[in-house]
Amino acid sequence: MSERKTGVYLCSGCGIGESVQVGALEGVAKSEYKLEAKTHACLCGDEGVGMIKADIEAGTNQVVVAACSARVMTDRFGFEPIQVVRADLREKVIWSHPAGDEDTQALAEDHVRMALTQASKIKAPEPWTEGEFSQTIMVLGGGVTGLSAALQAAGLGHDVLLVERADQLGGHARTASKRLPHTPPYDKPEANDIGVLLDAVAANPKITVRLNALVTRTAGMPGKFAVTFADGTIEDVGAIIVATGWRPYDATKLGHLGYGASPDVVTNTDMEKMLAAGQLARKSDGKAPKSIAFVQCAGSRDADHLPYCSSICCQTSLKQALEVLETDPTANIFVIYEEMRTPGVAEELYRQAQSKGVIFIKGKVKAVGADLTVTVADELVQQDVPLAGLDMVVLATGMVPNSTNPDQAMVEYGAEQLNGDVDPEAPIAVAGYCGEAPAAHEKRVQSVPEGGPLLNLQYRQGPHLPVLHDGFADSHYICFPYETRRTGIYTAGPVRRPMDWAEAAEDAAGAVLKAVQAVRSAAAGAALHPRVGDLSFPKINLNACTKCRRCTVECPFGAIDEDEKEYPNVNPTRCRRCGTCMGACPVRTISFDNYSVEMLSSMIKAVKVPDEFSGKPRILIMACENDAVPALDQAGIKRNSWSSHVRVVPVRCLGSVSLLNISDALSAGYDGVMLMGCKPGDDYQCHFVKGSAMAAERLSKVGETLKSMMLEPERVVQAEASIADSDRLPKVIDGFVETIMKVGFNPFKGF
Amino acid sequence: MNAMSPTPSKAYDLNFARWVYENVDGGDRMALCMQCGTCSGSCPIGTQMDHGPRKLFMMIRAGMKDAVLSSNTLWNCVSCYNCVVRCPRQVPVTYILHDLAHVAVREGYAQAKESDNARFAKAFWWSAAKYGRTDERLVTAKYYFSFGVGEGIKRGMANQKIAMGMVKTKRMHLGMPHKVKNTGELHAILAKAAEMEAKKHGAK
Repeated sequence: MSERKTGVYLCSGCGIGESVQVGALEGVAKSEYKLEAKTHACLCGDEGVGMIKADIEAGTNQVVVAACSARVMTDRFGFEPIQVVRADLREKVIWSHPAGDEDTQALAEDHVRMALTQASKIKAPEPWTEGEFSQTIMVLGGGVTGLSAALQAAGLGHDVLLVERADQLGGHARTASKRLPHTPPYDKPEANDIGVLLDAVAANPKITVRLNALVTRTAGMPGKFAVTFADGTIEDVGAIIVATGWRPYDATKLGHLGYGASPDVVTNTDMEKMLAAGQLARKSDGKAPKSIAFVQCAGSRDADHLPYCSSICCQTSLKQALEVLETDPTANIFVIYEEMRTPGVAEELYRQAQSKGVIFIKGKVKAVGADLTVTVADELVQQDVPLAGLDMVVLATGMVPNSTNPDQAMVEYGAEQLNGDVDPEAPIAVAGYCGEAPAAHEKRVQSVPEGGPLLNLQYRQGPHLPVLHDGFADSHYICFPYETRRTGIYTAGPVRRPMDWAEAAEDAAGAVLKAVQAVRSAAAGAALHPRVGDLSFPKINLNACTKCRRCTVECPFGAIDEDEKEYPNVNPTRCRRCGTCMGACPVRTISFDNYSVEMLSSMIKAVKVPDEFSGKPRILIMACENDAVPALDQAGIKRNSWSSHVRVVPVRCLGSVSLLNISDALSAGYDGVMLMGCKPGDDYQCHFVKGSAMAAERLSKVGETLKSMMLEPERVVQAEASIADSDRLPKVIDGFVETIMKVGFNPFKGF
Repeated sequence: MNAMSPTPSKAYDLNFARWVYENVDGGDRMALCMQCGTCSGSCPIGTQMDHGPRKLFMMIRAGMKDAVLSSNTLWNCVSCYNCVVRCPRQVPVTYILHDLAHVAVREGYAQAKESDNARFAKAFWWSAAKYGRTDERLVTAKYYFSFGVGEGIKRGMANQKIAMGMVKTKRMHLGMPHKVKNTGELHAILAKAAEMEAKKHGAK
């Protein structure tokens, strides 16, 4: 950046002018920062924006806007490529604190100081765009999900490499009988139309198919993945969609349900193949079965087998029952269930099966004899009932995600990624946890499917795609479903969660959109979710690096590898810009062009800390800008009020908070520090997966340090915030202020 | 329709259930019963039944024919129609129970002969069919004496006070029973209906 020319603009609209003395704010800029501020009564109006634009024309190359929250009016105050720093005078000042009060005035002045300090410590980021970037999207797995993904990606203009381990495409759908209903009125099995997908893929010139393909190694980063195959060929791809689907649960483990006792106890996948071939016959004597019992939840929702519900087995049994009844309307069909789960329109299929005479028996199967007598603890007639005279028993087994490759041997290295290094149920140790601390759980044993890594990632954190619950790929089911913890690699279909054909096709479309965004953003040097478009990336000053490896270990996305000399090596397009590495680094060698430990500390120190004789404490809140800051904004919009002795510094993620920021705050005389961010651990809500967990981990070690400084550990806490906490957070803050007042003033104040 | 329902040979032998689906009034809808229990939960006299309607329907599927047809559920239903109104699958529970009661009578189940409600229902129908009206005094007497002469007198004496009160307030009259104007026509209608019913049951 050439010489810094900062324009400072104050808004007195929306009641700001009536609640605080804007003239005094101008004075802060002038006397403390030697900057002339311009005030406008409606800065976001055409006139106000015009004023800023005119200054930019005249050479202003950085803009500080002190008006509303940085989350609103982003279009009005966006002056690309000029950097804009926002100071919030509205939501977090005048809307949440009393007008005309000296403490509110002090708060507003500190907001201006923090913004001006921030502006002086940052520069416009220069994106990393070195070398060639591939726009090809690789799809791993040629089943319904993979085929749909390939077509979607090709339809968006990208070359597609479709990789399948078998000798033909189609996956399970190829050997399946009819489909679950997916068109109105959703009440009967529909034709298997996998052929339509196969033909469309074959006819698409943008899709290259590799059959019998085994990925042996995947190196690189989004835009620059180099995928090596077993035959030695290497393909360059920009993003990867993992659509490896599922495998049926191993029925040989279901001896208690009679599997193996008689050849006529079969699984639902066997049944599917028999129906597809049009030859429904007993394996024992080749006769067509007249009486069939379906046993639902065979090895599902069972702590000894699959603990989860595969969501489609109920519908599949209904479909198979209806297929049997289509050929033989007099067949006796029993479905033994614990709960029939027919989400959404699948209820129509259930109704149809009932009207065709399928008998549903609620209860657990107690025994299956070799003569196929199924004894059910029948809950509906409240007695144990023997079902005799059956010709066939179908076990409705669940789906196991192909998050590993069953053809490959398990590797030891990086296995913790499969066993969940973010343990969903591990207790989070936090010094002085604010509010109720989460209860301690025993670490759950993860049921990771057997097999080797799918992609054999050449990442420092291991070759696997990390999993979370029950062996499914780690992603946030609701907020960011396709994301994995490996940027540019997305999961779709049953490898992510159990789903049926129609859902998988839809899922593929979602993952393709993420992959397209990944390849295009990588080429532009821009970040992906959730800091979409951020051009900064972590820069490491290797001269000061002590090779402690904390950054390479703690990065939630495995973005940092180690080079041959064990120095950290950032793969910029893998990075999501959370700053967890920056918060981890004990010697602050990691920083972004527009975000650094020094920037945060300077902002903290820019605040005027009143002396203890004023009777006013000063408390720092480092708040996550994904959820905590918007929740505080919302609190302001609702005119919820909290202590005006608090100063909020927004951070990218709690993971980016260095302990040095906290010690700087305490040495600067702050009486307390609160880290406010997303829920860590069990069902995390952290947008960067484990940033808040890392913050908690670091904070758990701060108590001893505080004691050695003769400071009370209560002064530093972490608080959980979710986006919906606008009513709760003001109370949390005020409670913390009260605690600090009881503990007393920071003895370092004034030194 | 077969005059007699088939007897299941084992648990969940579906021959009886299918017979009910086809032959009992409203039975076709019973196939759609999803065992939610709204009927039993809505029943004002559920506590007075051996089995609620929900369980009774499942017992039909389970082939528990004897238990179903000797259940007092069929006789204790008061026809309030709460269950019919509330059933999410539009199963006409009340019709089914009443028709099953007919089946129980036809097939000679003891409950259908001996239970209080069965006796009372018969007395009620006797009066309605004979006079076209129900005469409290005669229905009550018929019901009481169905237990035998001694028991009939005993019950009548026990309720004498109530009867006198009703007479005084003109809720019950002495003298000839009320009847419709032309009982002959009524009897002809009922005879025709009985003939049609017999034909229906005798067929096949």
